[in-house]
Amino acid sequence: MRALVIDDSRAMRRIVTGILTNLGYEVRDAGHGGEGLDVLNEGWVPDLATIDWNMPVMDGLQFVSAVRSNPAWRRMTMMMVTSESEHTQIVRALAAGAHEYMIKPFTADAFRDKLALLGLLPQEVAL
Amino acid sequence: MTSTDTGQRRRGSDARPVITELIDEMTILAIAEEAWVSLVGEDEVLVPIPSELPGDILSSWVDVVGPWTGSVVLTTGRATAEELSRALLRESAPELLDDEDVADAFGEIANVVGGSIKAALPGPSGLSLPQVGNAPLVRNAGDLCRVDVVWRGEPLTISVQGALPPLPVPTPSRENEVPL
Ligand SMILES: [Mg+2]
Repeated sequence: MRALVIDDSRAMRRIVTGILTNLGYEVRDAGHGGEGLDVLNEGWVPDLATIDWNMPVMDGLQFVSAVRSNPAWRRMTMMMVTSESEHTQIVRALAAGAHEYMIKPFTADAFRDKLALLGLLPQEVAL
Repeated sequence: MTSTDTGQRRRGSDARPVITELIDEMTILAIAEEAWVSLVGEDEVLVPIPSELPGDILSSWVDVVGPWTGSVVLTTGRATAEELSRALLRESAPELLDDEDVADAFGEIANVVGGSIKAALPGPSGLSLPQVGNAPLVRNAGDLCRVDVVWRGEPLTISVQGALPPLPVPTPSRENEVPL
C-alpha cells in the first residue's frame, strides 16, 4: 500500500512516515498541498493521503477540494492529520471530501486503530 | 438631542475574556504533556517547577484569533530548543542542526500545543502558522497564563498571552460631577 504524507513540518512528516513505514506502507511526502498535487500529477496515486490543515502555499482544505475535483483520484482515502481539533473545522474538512481525521498529538497506536477502521492496514499487519 | 456617552454600552460590547477566565495552568500542563509524549517520546516528562531561563533563549509560538486573541508561546534556552528538535527528528536529524531544522521542529511543537489550547478556548478561532524567534511582548499582564516546566533538567515556559492591551479603566466623567 502507498501513502502520501503532506505536512509543512519536516519533523511531523518524519513522525507520520515512521508510523506508516512500520505498518508496511510505501511512503512519499510533500511539504504543502501544491507539492502533494505534483506527486499525484506524476501518476503516483496512493491508497491513503494524510493531510495537515495549516500549511503555507496550499493548505489541507484546498488540497482536499482539488483532489475531489479530479475523478481519477477518487479511490484515494484522505485523512486530515491536524492540530485543528475544533468541531467546526473537522466538519469543514469532511464536507470538503476528507474521509477521516486524526488530531495532533496522536500516538502510533491511535493511528493504527484509525487505519484499521478505514480498512487501510496492509494485510500482513492486519492479520 | 444630545446623549451623554456614559461608556456603559461601549464597555458592555467590548467586554472580552482574559485567558485566566478560560483556561488554567493544570490544563495547559496536561496539554503540553500529551504533546511531549506524542512528539518527543513516550518517556519524556515535563516537571512543573519554576526555574530560571538562560540568557540565550528562543521562542516558538502560534497566534490564536477569535473570541480570545493572543499567542501560545514556548520559550527555552537555544541549546534546549536544539535538543528538543533533535528528539523530534530522531534518526532523521542531521549531524549539525541548522536554524531551519530548529524552526521546523520547535515550531511544530508550538503548533500542536497551540492547537490543543485553541480547542479548549471558546471558538470559532483561527490558528496561525508557527513562528520562531523572539516572543511577542506580553501586552497585558492580566491576560496571561504561564506554566514553568523542566524538561531533561532544562527550563521551559509555556505562556498563553493575550495580544491586546488592557481596556482603559473607566473613570467617572468630570462633567457629571457636582461641585461641592
Ligand atoms: Mg502545519
